[in-house]
Amino acid sequence: MTLFTDTFLIALIAGIAAAGVPLLLAGLGEQLSEKAGVLNVGIEGMMLGGAYLGFYIAWATESTGLGFLGGILGGLLVSSLMVLFCVRMGLNQIVIGIALTLGAEGATALLHHVQFSRLYPRLSDVATWRIPGLADIPIIGPALFDREPVVYLAVALVPILVYVYRRTHLGLAVQAAGDKPAALDSAGQNVLAIRSFAVLACGGMVGLGGAFMSIVGAGVFVPFMTHGNGFIGIVLAMLARGRPLWVLFGAVLFGACLSAATALQVAGVAIPTDVVQMLPFVAVMLVLLIAGRNAKLPAALGAAYVRGER
Amino acid sequence: MMMTKTTKGALRLMTALAFTTGMSTAVLAEEITSLAILTPETGTDFGWNQQGIDGAVAAGEALGVEVIVAENLGYGDVRPTLRELAEEEPGLIVAHASGYNTAAPEIGAEAGVKVAIVDSPSALTEGSVVDYTASGHEGAYLAGVLAAKMTRSGTVGIVTSGEPPSWNSQSAAFAEGVKATNPELVIRYAVIGPAAYSDAAGGKRVTESLIAAGADIIFGQGNGSSFGMLQAVETTPAADGGKVMFIDVIGDKTPIDKGYLLSSVLWNLTPVYEAMIEDIRADKFGTRNYGINLEDGSVALLKSPHIPEDIWGEVMAVKDQIVSGEVVVEPHFDAESVHALVTGE
Repeated sequence: MTLFTDTFLIALIAGIAAAGVPLLLAGLGEQLSEKAGVLNVGIEGMMLGGAYLGFYIAWATESTGLGFLGGILGGLLVSSLMVLFCVRMGLNQIVIGIALTLGAEGATALLHHVQFSRLYPRLSDVATWRIPGLADIPIIGPALFDREPVVYLAVALVPILVYVYRRTHLGLAVQAAGDKPAALDSAGQNVLAIRSFAVLACGGMVGLGGAFMSIVGAGVFVPFMTHGNGFIGIVLAMLARGRPLWVLFGAVLFGACLSAATALQVAGVAIPTDVVQMLPFVAVMLVLLIAGRNAKLPAALGAAYVRGER
Repeated sequence: MMMTKTTKGALRLMTALAFTTGMSTAVLAEEITSLAILTPETGTDFGWNQQGIDGAVAAGEALGVEVIVAENLGYGDVRPTLRELAEEEPGLIVAHASGYNTAAPEIGAEAGVKVAIVDSPSALTEGSVVDYTASGHEGAYLAGVLAAKMTRSGTVGIVTSGEPPSWNSQSAAFAEGVKATNPELVIRYAVIGPAAYSDAAGGKRVTESLIAAGADIIFGQGNGSSFGMLQAVETTPAADGGKVMFIDVIGDKTPIDKGYLLSSVLWNLTPVYEAMIEDIRADKFGTRNYGINLEDGSVALLKSPHIPEDIWGEVMAVKDQIVSGEVVVEPHFDAESVHALVTGE
């Protein structure tokens, strides 16, 4: 039987989107937070919060749209703790980020145990938006242009964020909060408010990525299901060094390598599985390290801002 | 405090007297009043974690041993939890995850507590460490026979959440069962990730790819990720537009089935834990490892309503051949053997 049929190729390319969208949203969110000077190590927890609340609301209301909003809310809830402890109270961002991730893992596992562990409810297929014309392209069309609305939204966020960073006062203020917060303060802007906004926006995006994972990617919520995707998002953001387009490139490359790894295994290629599964990580690190070697991270990244302190 | 010291002193004196009067080792054999079990996910997953906890509780009830359950610990470093449990001085700590098989012997040695680990048979140490690489390979062989008899497309798929020895031996045996029944059938094999036990989204993605590659029966091995596999077969039609059926492992997902669960290679770990307790009481702990098999019923194949009676009868005939020794299913714990069997090399 021929393996590389249209159906198989469509499934592989659709897999790129399924794996890449949560990473893209996580990477873009982390990038925004880092631009404002907050190293948000807690996005794995935010993603889990979004995955849980998104799935819960989608299941309870039978509305995937409300589920995605619930995912944003879940991410916001966890990120509000990051705002409180790191931005407002100035505590160590790495320690709090790890604590939030561990806390979210425990809390969502406990909630799952109470609510779902006897039933394991699964969602039915999510409605897709078919883009006329593009969806008719053989193989690529059905895989990429007949997708859930969140896929298009995630990709659309890339040019939107590029525009915000380059052309708006808000973007300038966010980057100043990460590069020279004292200068921003001197200019009459509220550094803590801008950092709070960036962290909350990050939480919303990452939470949406988590909801995509549970509602579309899996159709079910299970404990620890984000499986390190938040941390990969941090890596993408760090290596993309402030450029949203590179986050998109990294997420697509990662998803493509995952699909390629599956294809190699299904084809029975005689390479050890561990080697095949290193592909996504090695490829993304290599490409982004080469591409981003001249870029710089924000000067005040990871440092709490206290007015008057140098 | 005084009472405690007095009691401890009396115990030491009695022990010393026992030695000096030459009491037999049988009388001195260790008593075990409690055991602790650690699992990475909750004991309600209809799979690995649930079977582990249920098995330990059942063994404890049967042999009068209190069971301390520490569940949902994740796949990270469990040393702090192990140390806390060791302070309770259980007679045995069962570290029910392959990811714990470095930390558990380490903490066991540190605290002087016996430990049981999985997927590490060479760690056997007299008096302190045993392994129970429970392999349902005989049941998986039967699952392969069943899949071969029920596939419409001529292609079956194997999805696993990693390549630990237990999964490998079942994947290999499943492939052998398929090929022994019909050598012309195609087997497609894919691993979700290096240790993707809870990666439900990955489970769904990879399973969808196998279905797109023509598989209409999926043999899935994963913990939380198996729910993603189940979701994939429920939402993705086979190439002929019909249902894709799912064969699970370890637990019985019948209560949550939507009509796609063909069977499951069921494990019963109660006899394994009972044997460990009895070996501790007989001062034999650490002299052997433990396993499960078809003969004593610790491995079984689930019969669902989707299996026609005639096919079930044929599968049970193969089971009888395995139990009688007429058909021998050797376990292959390494990934290379699985790859070779799947590709037919």
